[in-house]
Amino acid sequence: MKQILLLEDLPEIRAWLKTLALQVFPGAHISESARVHDALELVNAVRFDVALCDLGLPDGSGVEVVQALREKQPDVQSVVVTIHDDDEHLFPALQAGAFGYLLKEQSREQLAEQLHRISQGEPPLSPSIARRVIKYFTAQASQQPISQADSVTPHVQLTDRENEVLLRVAKGFTLPEIGVQLNLSRHTIADYVKQIYRKLNVSSRAEAALEAQRLGLFRR
Amino acid sequence: MLQRWWQNLLNRTRSATSAQAALETPSGTVIPVSRAGQWLLLTLGLALAWVVGWGLVVLNQEAIRLSKPTLADGGAATLLFRDAWAVASSASHYPLDQVGQSVGLPDEWSRSHPSYEGSIWYRVHFDTPIQPSTDKLLAAYIERACSNVEVHLNGQLLYRGGRMTEPVARNCDQSHVVPLPSFLLRTGSNQLDLKVTGYPIERVTARQRAGGLDEVRVGPLQDMQRMHQDHEFWSNTVSQVIAGILVVLGLFALGLAWVRQLSYLTYFGLLTIGWSLMTGRWWINELPVSNASTEVLIAMMFAPMTAFAIKFLLGYSGHGMRNRKARDLTRQVNAILWAQCLLLPLSLWLVGVNGLFLVARLWYVLFALELFVAIGYFLWHSGRTRKPEFWLMSVALGVVSAVMGIELSFQNGLLRVWGVHVTYFVMPVLYAVVAVRLIQVYAGALKTAEGARNQLEKRVQEISAEIERNFNQIAELRVEQIAEKERKRIAADLHDDLGAKLLTIVHTSDNDRISTLAREALEEMRLSVRGLTGRPMILSDALADWRAEVVSRLGQSGIEIEWRNSIDEVEEPLSARTYVQTTRIIREAVSNIIKHSQASHVVIHTDVHLEHHDFLLVIQDNGKGIPMELDGRLDRGHGMTSMKHRAKQLNGQCLVESGPGFGTVIRLTLPLEIAVVQQKVAIEHTQAASTASIPDGAQGSPLGTTP
Repeated sequence: MKQILLLEDLPEIRAWLKTLALQVFPGAHISESARVHDALELVNAVRFDVALCDLGLPDGSGVEVVQALREKQPDVQSVVVTIHDDDEHLFPALQAGAFGYLLKEQSREQLAEQLHRISQGEPPLSPSIARRVIKYFTAQASQQPISQADSVTPHVQLTDRENEVLLRVAKGFTLPEIGVQLNLSRHTIADYVKQIYRKLNVSSRAEAALEAQRLGLFRR
Repeated sequence: MLQRWWQNLLNRTRSATSAQAALETPSGTVIPVSRAGQWLLLTLGLALAWVVGWGLVVLNQEAIRLSKPTLADGGAATLLFRDAWAVASSASHYPLDQVGQSVGLPDEWSRSHPSYEGSIWYRVHFDTPIQPSTDKLLAAYIERACSNVEVHLNGQLLYRGGRMTEPVARNCDQSHVVPLPSFLLRTGSNQLDLKVTGYPIERVTARQRAGGLDEVRVGPLQDMQRMHQDHEFWSNTVSQVIAGILVVLGLFALGLAWVRQLSYLTYFGLLTIGWSLMTGRWWINELPVSNASTEVLIAMMFAPMTAFAIKFLLGYSGHGMRNRKARDLTRQVNAILWAQCLLLPLSLWLVGVNGLFLVARLWYVLFALELFVAIGYFLWHSGRTRKPEFWLMSVALGVVSAVMGIELSFQNGLLRVWGVHVTYFVMPVLYAVVAVRLIQVYAGALKTAEGARNQLEKRVQEISAEIERNFNQIAELRVEQIAEKERKRIAADLHDDLGAKLLTIVHTSDNDRISTLAREALEEMRLSVRGLTGRPMILSDALADWRAEVVSRLGQSGIEIEWRNSIDEVEEPLSARTYVQTTRIIREAVSNIIKHSQASHVVIHTDVHLEHHDFLLVIQDNGKGIPMELDGRLDRGHGMTSMKHRAKQLNGQCLVESGPGFGTVIRLTLPLEIAVVQQKVAIEHTQAASTASIPDGAQGSPLGTTP
């Protein structure tokens, strides 16, 4: 039986998301929460398998919950469910460790399929997100010489294949198309995307740690 | 041995002053000289000084020779008395009862009547060889009678230079011309009696003021007056004029010192003013104080004068401004100099009236030595760094040595000359030269300061212009930021309120049509928000987004899609508004295809015409086409109107060609708003640079940088 965290402040949408989750994960136990604070308490108390988090909440951002989950329960598949489709809102969540995102207004069938895919390890990747990821890693690479001396930060690099996939997504090709172009199976492509998300998260965390360390040094 | 000691001394002086010497140069030109070069320079300077000094001595001798009136000066009719019968007596008339002696003129009491104080009667006889012609009167001319003289002719008092009793009028530097009234002249022998009152040399502090009488002449009044005027002019008027000039110079220097806060200028001013006071001491002939007091007062002035001179030299050389050791030395020098000012009168008072000349002489020698040391120090110091000052001071050294040598040898009786001394004129000239140099230095500094000020002003102007520019930029940025913030707030409100409600409708409505409408409304809203808040993007990225959306939507509907970009990379920027509107047009077109066309295959072709600043998007399907309305126009229900309207809003064009069985071709031509968008991109850049700490990436191509 799957343990699912559902974080959504609007009751109707929450109820609807609950039915969606139950449709994809029949018989799952769903812990509902309308506020970040409550969700964080739940994260400490319950072991989850999947988390569906809205981003804009009355007492904060769902990103905090995604982050807490990544730190305390690294195996949880955090999925951001949001009304925002732009990379400005989604990218921080992905950096924090979200494994995918769902756009709320899509039809139930679409959403169910996407959620199913995510749970199967096939997260979505839009061109704008892909571009943002490329930018992020390019900036990291260019910064690397400065922090190279610091052995604390592991240097996360994308493989050539991962880069290739990212580039093609950024150019507007869909994942199945890329699979055909590169002569790779759907699962392999999905694995690449998964790796990209994972590395994004690891790199972001290292960066955050470094930043914290730097601030600590300054404070001393 | 001596050489070694000298070297040591120099080394010490050098170590104490070398560091700051270079920095403290008023002239500003710093040319460090090597040690050997310095010695050579010093030698050259001394040589120059010697030449100048020697020249001055020669000049002085020549001047004295020329100024000394000869017999010829008086004309043939003039009688020159080189001998007189002298009787030491203070009687009011020539003492016939006392025994006198014949003395040669000029008569110096220090030789003929040592230590005598009081009056001496001189008697000369002359016949009236020159019977005063009808138009000429006779007169007696006395070039020097110290301190004062009374003239009697044939027992009758004719002339008195001033007070004849203590304190005696001080007329040592004045000549006297006494007209001899013709009614007193006797045919044949006449007696001219001169009563000279004066002081012995021991009781004065300068030989010039010791008692004595110079040659006496008798001749035509006009000639005598001319000689008197000449003498008066050279020894008094010129001196007074120079003294006046020096006062002005000194005041100027003081003013300059006050403005610039430079102590050496103060000392220079005091020195020149003091000098003018000393040379102007003839101005007052009758002082209401005793001779001894006056002499002490005059001698006293030399001490502060020397102090001023030395302080000026040290200050001008830049001594003791940085180094602590040098400062200590300066303090000691100061103490010594000011102590002198007290010691001099004290010593004169201690030795009493009769030792005045001796002690004063000793002091003069001491002052001279001090001055030589100071000038030598200055030469050594300036030789290293400041060429103009060095040469100037070399000349000054020569002048000062010559003047002092002449003065001292005169005071000590080694030189026996009366008359006009070059020394009176040379020193003021020297002061003037130094003053000119000081003013030059000041002017140079002023010019430099002015230049610096101009530069500063220019810089300030530049900076203020830059600040203004920056301010304008910031203001623009600020406006942009406020607008951005406001747009974000509106966007957030839309999402939170309208979005949430629409979303609720989407997911709670039983009616498919309503939920679809609500979904579309939501998408519209999102696009609107994006148009409000979105940043400009590059065309390639926009094309990628459109492609991804179109391909996945058509793919989900089972329609084949072929997307051709004629250019792979397009860096042209696209504003958020154009992006959003174009997205709407494309969505509409794709929706039409999915809903109405029954097409199985869609070809989308994009092209960019950089030369026309536009891009073209052609959507072609193989569906059944759009049915005609009765009026021959295409069905409005298919959203064609809104597509066209939107294209027009963007200054573009949307052409639809369709016919039954031919499918539909939509040609969308839109302008690239390069200039407008680039400006916006630039603002975004500055914003990103000033606010973003996380590398956010530029708006340029992220694709170009990856392999």
